[in-house]
Amino acid sequence: MNGEAFSANLVHFARYLRALGLVVGPETAQDLAAAAGAVGLGNRLDTYEAFKAVATVRVGDRPAFDHAFELFFGTEGITDDSQPDVAFVTRDNRATRASLPTLAGFEADVNDDAEVVADIGGGSYSERLARRDFGMLTQAEREEVRMLIARMIWRPADALSRRWVSDRRGDRPHIRKTFSNLTRPEGDLVPFEYMARRPRRRPLVVIADISGSMELYAEMFLHFIHAAQGRLGRVEAFVFATRLTRVTREMRQRDAAHALGRVSESVQDWSGGTRIGDTLAEFNREWSRRVARGGAVGLVISDGWDTGDPATLDAEMARFARTMYRVVWLNPLAARAGYSPEARGMRTVLPYVDDFLAAASVLDLREVVRMLESLPSKSTSGRLRSVVR
Amino acid sequence: MIPQTVDDVQKALEQERYVADRSLAVVVHLALQLGRPLFLEGEAGVGKTEVAKVLSAILGEDLIRLQCYEGLDVSHALYEWDYARQMLAIRLLEANASNAVPEVTDIMSRDYLIARPLLQAIELGAKGRRPVLLIDELDRADEEFEAYLLELLSDFQVTIPEVETVKAIEPPVVIITSNRTREIHDALKRRCIYHWIDYPDYVREVAILRSRAPHVSATLAGDLAKAMAHLRDLELFKPPGVAETLDWASALAVLGAAELSPGVVDETLGVVLKYQEDIARIRAEGVERLIAG
Repeated sequence: MNGEAFSANLVHFARYLRALGLVVGPETAQDLAAAAGAVGLGNRLDTYEAFKAVATVRVGDRPAFDHAFELFFGTEGITDDSQPDVAFVTRDNRATRASLPTLAGFEADVNDDAEVVADIGGGSYSERLARRDFGMLTQAEREEVRMLIARMIWRPADALSRRWVSDRRGDRPHIRKTFSNLTRPEGDLVPFEYMARRPRRRPLVVIADISGSMELYAEMFLHFIHAAQGRLGRVEAFVFATRLTRVTREMRQRDAAHALGRVSESVQDWSGGTRIGDTLAEFNREWSRRVARGGAVGLVISDGWDTGDPATLDAEMARFARTMYRVVWLNPLAARAGYSPEARGMRTVLPYVDDFLAAASVLDLREVVRMLESLPSKSTSGRLRSVVR
Repeated sequence: MIPQTVDDVQKALEQERYVADRSLAVVVHLALQLGRPLFLEGEAGVGKTEVAKVLSAILGEDLIRLQCYEGLDVSHALYEWDYARQMLAIRLLEANASNAVPEVTDIMSRDYLIARPLLQAIELGAKGRRPVLLIDELDRADEEFEAYLLELLSDFQVTIPEVETVKAIEPPVVIITSNRTREIHDALKRRCIYHWIDYPDYVREVAILRSRAPHVSATLAGDLAKAMAHLRDLELFKPPGVAETLDWASALAVLGAAELSPGVVDETLGVVLKYQEDIARIRAEGVERLIAG
């Protein structure tokens, strides 16, 4: 970690401590830096003790501090087995959520304070899970992570429909309505009416890879798609390994477990090989005209491991990108340290992708959701708009 | 004159040079007899719109066409006030400065109304006529319009609050087409008689060519139909429809080609296929294969 990133991190750390209710002033980040300078970063336990000395003023601060330290600097060497895992209560729970940029969007039930306290208690646990790679979850943790996905908050950007509706702030005169005002008897002052284009939910088309190499991730992504379907409504869902299966209808089941059960029944080729090019070809031919109208966002979830013909993949990906308002690619492998798109398939498709995002944890998915909140039009330069890692 | 049996319908369609298979003749007959809208779905260029045109010729009635698009609203589908005339009327009333108190009806009567396709059809229906109302490419309109249409198709009645309620005595012959770029809502489909128009088989395509392009020899018609059947089997991005077959026949006539040769096919491929990838693919595979069948 370089010095600049480290100090930025310390600022966040200090803010987070303040949000947790510790007495932390503007000077604390500097104090932390000085403390780090004094004891060095070689020994975690030393750093921990030094930071604790700077940032806490009473014993009661300790659980919150430990939680924050763990979150920011990992767990190694600081957890003491004799230490009971106590839940802590913060002074202002709402500030917790508001203040921390890296953890924005964590909120569960904002209105219920009792709930929030409990949530913060388990919060550290949930947030640790939120950061964990889907591939590293135990069975019990998977259940928890499913809940986190189901509770995610969606505020997607809307597109404008071509339908004009009456709107006082609009910029086009609404003649029909203005004239009908004329016929009303009251007064000489006839209000002039305006109209504007009505916002419309932008359709989302998700194509998820469920082939062998995605085995550890597929289930969580299906939960993600189910959550999207529930929150956005206009979601078209497809899965593929060697061939494409449309699962939109199956996903419409309200209950996630039920929906996924229906999906697995309808899919023939779970965890087979991967033919992304052929899959996209089938999508382009059979479905794109039906589901990709009205400025749809194309969301592909795959590690880019392709056993098909690269020329086909290139041509079909090009067409896919042309039909979509914007192409977002989620790759779980990209979340790993030192990832570079080595899979041939991934290298082939990247030139057509607007946003390439690592997605292997709940935190990553929240990033994806946040990205969907502001979607300017497709890049025309053929370059990636954003890469989130 | 409304044909009274399925056979009559098929014969009448043929007379208007529309080669229909039996199933289409049946649904047209049902739509006419039951007074229900006919919902035609199918790929582009299989002759959906043509059904409406031919029906209007058979029945000797007006064809009223409403082309759908996203954002289509009541003022373009049903009626709109003629604002310019209303303004003039207001000015006149002011200029005359009579002691008579102006009434709303002075500027809000039928005279100041511009009837759009749906109102035109219902007004003709109110006079006892049965025009053919073509609602073309409904899948391009948005769901709001669909919902409105549902209401209209259930009672063929339009209420203009300021003026009157117009009701068709007999429902117009309604043909709705869709290219299936999206699914139309089930509620609307349920009011209609639904029919999927498929690409014609070899025999029917030859018959269509002979009927619509009489200048084409029997051999050439056979070759064209064979080539088309081959093209449609290839999983192209956009398989050619019957419209393309007829265009191709005309193109060959213009070029004076009496038969399909590799050179001619290559030159006219753009008449049949409209995507560069599809054309490139056929050229790569060799245009001869189209002729060999």
